[in-house]
Amino acid sequence: MKVNKEQIDDLYTFTIKHFVEYYDLQTELVDHLANDVESIWEKHPNVPYKDARDKAFKKFGVFGFMNAIEQRQKAMHKRYLKFLWTELKQWFTLPKVLSTILLFLIFHTAFSTSLANYFFIAFYSIMVVLVLIKSVQLKRQFNTRKKASHKKWFLEEIIFKQAGSSSIGLIAQLHLLVNFSNNVFENYYFVLGFSVFSTLLSLWLFVSFQVLPNKAEQLLKTTYPEFSL
Amino acid sequence: MANNKLYKGSLTTIILKLLNEGDKMYGYEITQKVKSITKGELKITEGALYPALHKLEAEGLLEVEVEKVDNRLRKYYKLTEKGAKETQSKLEELQDYIKTMQLLVNPKFSLD
Repeated sequence: MKVNKEQIDDLYTFTIKHFVEYYDLQTELVDHLANDVESIWEKHPNVPYKDARDKAFKKFGVFGFMNAIEQRQKAMHKRYLKFLWTELKQWFTLPKVLSTILLFLIFHTAFSTSLANYFFIAFYSIMVVLVLIKSVQLKRQFNTRKKASHKKWFLEEIIFKQAGSSSIGLIAQLHLLVNFSNNVFENYYFVLGFSVFSTLLSLWLFVSFQVLPNKAEQLLKTTYPEFSL
Repeated sequence: MANNKLYKGSLTTIILKLLNEGDKMYGYEITQKVKSITKGELKITEGALYPALHKLEAEGLLEVEVEKVDNRLRKYYKLTEKGAKETQSKLEELQDYIKTMQLLVNPKFSLD
C-alpha cells in the first residue's frame, strides 16, 4: 500500500508543525516518513495512517527533527560563505584585481590628506546609507519571491537577509566617529591598514548586497536539485 | 541489541562505506540497508542519520540528486571524488582502531 497525495500533503503539514520551515528538508523528511509508513503497512496493513505516521516520527527520538534542522542550517551557512569567498577571490585575480588596486589607491590617497577624518566620516556615512537602502530593497525582493513561490529556502533567506544584518553592526559603530582622534591618520601604518580595511569592507559589502542577490537563482539551482522541479 | 554508544562516531564511516559500494542511496534506504546487513543488530536512528548526511554534503564528500518517485520527491546521495578518497581514509582509521582494541581486549602476555 502506498501513501497517497493527501497523505503526502499531510506529511508536509506535519513537518511544518514540527518546526521544519524550509522546503528542501521538508521534502526529504516527508519521503522518509512516507517510506516508513509504507513499511509499517506491509506488516500491519490495518494500522490507521496517522498512527503509522506518529510511529515513524517517534523513531527520530525526543528531539524530533531539531538535530536535522540545526545541521541543515549550519550546512547552508557554510555554503553561503563558500559562495561569498568564491566571489571575493575573483577581486584578487586578473582582471578584477586592477579595480581592487585602484580602489585601494583611492582610499590611500584620501586617508593620506589633511582631510582624512572628513573622508572617513563621509565614506562611513555613505556606506551606512547604501547598506540601509539595499537592505530594504533586498527585503522587498525577498518578500516578492516568497509570494511567487510558496516554498522557503534557507539559502535564499541568507542571501537576501544576511547582508542586511551586517548593517546593524555598522550603524552600531557610528558613535565611535565622534571620538576619532585627528592624530590617528598621521600614522602611516594606520593609513595603510585602514585603506586595506576600507577596500576589503567595500568589496565584501558589494558582493553581499549586489553580486550574490543578483545570482540568487543560479546559486539556488546549484544548491537545491529540487528547486527546478 | 548492540550498545549504540560503542558505534557512536562510526556513523560517518558506515554511510561512506555503503555509498562506496553502491551507486546512490536515499536516507531511508541507508537505514534499512544497515539493519539488513547487521540482521537488526545495529539500527541507525533517524535523528542521527540526516544531520550526518547533511554534514557530509556540506563538506563536499556527498552530492545529491532529486527524482520524482510515486507522488513525492526523493533525494539521493552519492559519493563525490573527494568522498571516495575520504572513504578509504576512514576505513583505514577504523581498521587501526579495531587492531588497537583487539590488542587491549586480547592481550598476549609473555614470560620473556
